[in-house]
Amino acid sequence: MSLTEILAGILDGAGVTLRVVAYALAYAIPFALLFGTLQYLARGAARACVTVVIEFWRSNSVIILLYVFYYLLPFVGMRWSAMEVAALVLGCNVGSYASQVVRAALQAVARGQLQAGKALGLKRLQVLLLIEFPQSIRPMIPSLMNETIRLIQSTALVSLLALSDMTLRAKEIAQTTYQPVGIYTALLIAYFLLAYPFALLGRRLESWVVKGKGVRDAL
Amino acid sequence: MHFDYHYARSIAPIIAHAALTTIWVTIVSSLLATALGFGLELLRRINRPVELAMTVVIDFFRITPILALLYFLYFVLPFYGIDLPAIVVGILTLSLHYSGYLAEVFKGAIASISAGQAEGAQALGMRRSQVVLFVLLPQMLRNAMPPIANYVLSILKSTPYLAVIAVPEMLGAAMDQAADSFTYVEPMTVVGIMFFLFCLGSARALDAVHRHLRRHD
Repeated sequence: MSLTEILAGILDGAGVTLRVVAYALAYAIPFALLFGTLQYLARGAARACVTVVIEFWRSNSVIILLYVFYYLLPFVGMRWSAMEVAALVLGCNVGSYASQVVRAALQAVARGQLQAGKALGLKRLQVLLLIEFPQSIRPMIPSLMNETIRLIQSTALVSLLALSDMTLRAKEIAQTTYQPVGIYTALLIAYFLLAYPFALLGRRLESWVVKGKGVRDAL
Repeated sequence: MHFDYHYARSIAPIIAHAALTTIWVTIVSSLLATALGFGLELLRRINRPVELAMTVVIDFFRITPILALLYFLYFVLPFYGIDLPAIVVGILTLSLHYSGYLAEVFKGAIASISAGQAEGAQALGMRRSQVVLFVLLPQMLRNAMPPIANYVLSILKSTPYLAVIAVPEMLGAAMDQAADSFTYVEPMTVVGIMFFLFCLGSARALDAVHRHLRRHD
């Protein structure tokens, strides 16, 4: 097999990889915004509860979480497909990391902003949505690019649940043709091409955050 | 179906014993990744063309999935007649992947030391090697320690990848038990809880180390 044939075979699985990324983001983005904000706002026992949820997803290996949910959900009567389990686990795992980015960005907003908002008579929720959120989005973005890369990387794990993504396609081709060198090199290149734009974008946007210039200058 | 507590209790010691493998894989991979990362960063500083080439290498290791790199080394090395034990392939994979991240850590740590430190030391009559060894290196390590510790934690969380190539670390041991008994619920529950506690404990320990390092700030 030529390298182009191998790449074409692996890219057959790109659809599944991208679907896992998309479905996982559907969990990750709400998770990160909700729990990051709650951890920032809540105090005392409420904050402890939020932290427990975040730490459950963050303080474990994503591959172990994937296996635990894959085998335990049917046990409690939830017959989810491998794709649904993967989206939930990978999404919440990356979402828990991203929640720390959200919380840190909110904490980095100058205290005077909150005090000034309150002095103007705004309610806490209004201060959050109208003053703190808009100012914290920009510093979040480079770190969120890294979390996107983390998500793309962890999608390779769905091959262990027999989902036909790029990694499983590579294994299948390797088993039939026995050309491991070309096939696994192509697999690494395929993932690199998929994720590298996010790394470059993240690096570009880092200087945008530091300089505080408009996004069009950075791009 | 019901949850067999007796069976779960009987496999807990086996998985706990496999934690020893998890620990030493983590330690060896961390040391190797730190050394490699430092080496990559020093190489990057030689000149501009080397810098560009090394940046691509560093990014490549950081961005490709651990699983893909693991398969690459596991299946490609034997093709060239290099037959390594699975655990060595696993350690190499983790070291290469995280060396990319650690190179970035050292880049930041080197940049964080102000030029005045080296100039001041030279003004005091210290030789170049003394400046590096006694003035720059201690400050750099102090700045680099917290992020290095975080990557050690990431490496710990990545050790279960080695179960894929049948290394008997914690997940691998649980998989072996599951394959023997044809039940996955209890082994996965036990390894899930134990690994979680293991990571949480390690994170708390590292937090304590961070606080110790920052006690004079």
